[in-house]
Amino acid sequence: MRRTILRMWKGMLLGMLPACGLFLSAQAPPKPGGQTEVTVDARQGKLGVGLPNPLVAGLDTAEVTNNFTEVLRRDLEDAGPFALLKDRLPTTVEAATVKPWLDAGAEWVLSVKVTKNGEAITVALQVLDVKATSQGEGKQLRYAFSKNYSGGASLLRRIAHTVADDLVDRLTGERGIANTRVVFVRQMAPGIKEIFQVDRDGANPIQLTRYGSLTLSPTVAPDGRLAYVTYKGGSPELWGQKKPGGVHERLYPTAAAGTQGSCYAPIWSPDGKRLAFTQSDRRGNSDIVVLDVQGGRVRKLTDGGFINTEPSWNPAGTQIAFTSDREGGPQVYLMEEDGSNVRRLSGEGSYNASPSWSPNGAMIAYVSRFEGKFDLFIYKLGEGKAYQITTGVASSESPAWAPDERRLVFSSNRGGNMQIWVTDLSGNAVKRLTEFTYCQSPKWTRSR
Amino acid sequence: MRPVRTLLVLGFSLGMAMILACKKPEPTPEPSRPTPTTPKVEPPPADTRAPVDNARPADMSAAKYAEFQKAAQAALKDINFDLDQSDIRDMDRPKLQTIASFMKAYTSARLMIEGHCDERGTVEYNLALGDRRAAAAQSYLSGLGVNRDRLNTISYGKEKPKVTGTSEESFLINRRCEFKLQN
Repeated sequence: MRRTILRMWKGMLLGMLPACGLFLSAQAPPKPGGQTEVTVDARQGKLGVGLPNPLVAGLDTAEVTNNFTEVLRRDLEDAGPFALLKDRLPTTVEAATVKPWLDAGAEWVLSVKVTKNGEAITVALQVLDVKATSQGEGKQLRYAFSKNYSGGASLLRRIAHTVADDLVDRLTGERGIANTRVVFVRQMAPGIKEIFQVDRDGANPIQLTRYGSLTLSPTVAPDGRLAYVTYKGGSPELWGQKKPGGVHERLYPTAAAGTQGSCYAPIWSPDGKRLAFTQSDRRGNSDIVVLDVQGGRVRKLTDGGFINTEPSWNPAGTQIAFTSDREGGPQVYLMEEDGSNVRRLSGEGSYNASPSWSPNGAMIAYVSRFEGKFDLFIYKLGEGKAYQITTGVASSESPAWAPDERRLVFSSNRGGNMQIWVTDLSGNAVKRLTEFTYCQSPKWTRSR
Repeated sequence: MRPVRTLLVLGFSLGMAMILACKKPEPTPEPSRPTPTTPKVEPPPADTRAPVDNARPADMSAAKYAEFQKAAQAALKDINFDLDQSDIRDMDRPKLQTIASFMKAYTSARLMIEGHCDERGTVEYNLALGDRRAAAAQSYLSGLGVNRDRLNTISYGKEKPKVTGTSEESFLINRRCEFKLQN
């Protein structure tokens, strides 16, 4: 079973496009009375997980339910390879309930004890390996994974996310994304936008800028440093942090560079030392430049009287994907980090833009206009082919990769006004992340 | 740029004619629009830049300033653009001529030319396209003899639509340059 799930998991990443539903295609007609086959069918090849209520000591049970159990449950459901069991389940993890858990289809049962001592919270996790236990000698419980977590009382949700990521790691060998956040732009009033963040599950909205001005295009360095564009001084400038947790200061134009041209579309290099961004000139053309943030030196990569914008680094920091109108309408191009070897990536379509290079480097997400609306596409560099991800009556824009490369966060007006959404790479599992007035330009980061 | 010289005279006389006639020259809606929904005008955004009132030069009397304000209001009309384009449309040349005449009549006036886009297309590409539109207007006015130093440009991309709505009429109104007085 473990091996099957793993194979499907890996297959999801590499071969899921565009037919997607490996999990879905595994459906068979339900057999009444055939208990095992019914549960397997319902789980669609995923690992059955039981999550009974934790044992709680020193704090309110409802708080644990809301800020731990339900958070963990949703994280595991969203992760992909787990199926959370729901109905008529045992409520304890002990020798006497191994058989009922096995019959319910559980392979793992999470035995959790949450203890609060002063301001410290401890979560003791033991993952019962149901099959190994049932096949083993005597009444000895066997565990697939055990770990203790501790932190301040306010970190219960964070601990739940960490547990979820550990379980994904234990099952698949990959790092989960439960403990991540999405940074985006939210409209406060017409013409006024600020940078916000939410946790991956939509919880904990936090306002990151308060300029009362037009503030756009956030980018987050691997160590959490934020950079963005703000019109707070009149014209659009690059602002952000030079140190983790540091003050927000103007990054460009530098004092030495003076005031010249507008700045847009910043994006941190993978090593967090440089910012690629767009600078417009007096003729209305736009070029991609790279700023050494500590040293303040800039290097112009494109030149030639066109629009060049929306830079996106490859994970090695040696190439940049970008949008240019050098052949008429906007198309996606690649170039080396010194601006050499420019070649066109996008093929069909009169409007291809907003490239986003995947964390492992093999794919580039972008948007393409078709019949007046915009949809997300993924270009697989190894195949030299593009796959359509979203389809619908609404527009989908600004794709950015999840750190695990298994989903995209993007903005779309499919629910009415512009909100942040998440999709898997099949385009079938699309979920809304935000419910504010108007949101755009999301970026997904592990940094906290 | 196209034959600006020949258009100069024509454009100038057209512009003057419009000022004299005191007519509202625009906007020109697309004729083939079947069901135009009335675009909703958004409340003006809180802007940190100087409002028009602060543009009064020290050497200008109150009466003269009122006249200046009135002239500015009459002259500084939006121009609009075709989809994905930044070329000045023929029908907007008289408007730019009017603006140029205003700038020549009030030599201390300075303009901020704002380039805007409709909601379609990416945030960043539209910011770049807005710069193109603002630069196109600036270049045209400069060609009419207005000193470039009096013409600043800025792009707001699709971030500050003038009207909401998804009709072609709304989109056309939003694909624009606005001309704002500066200190």
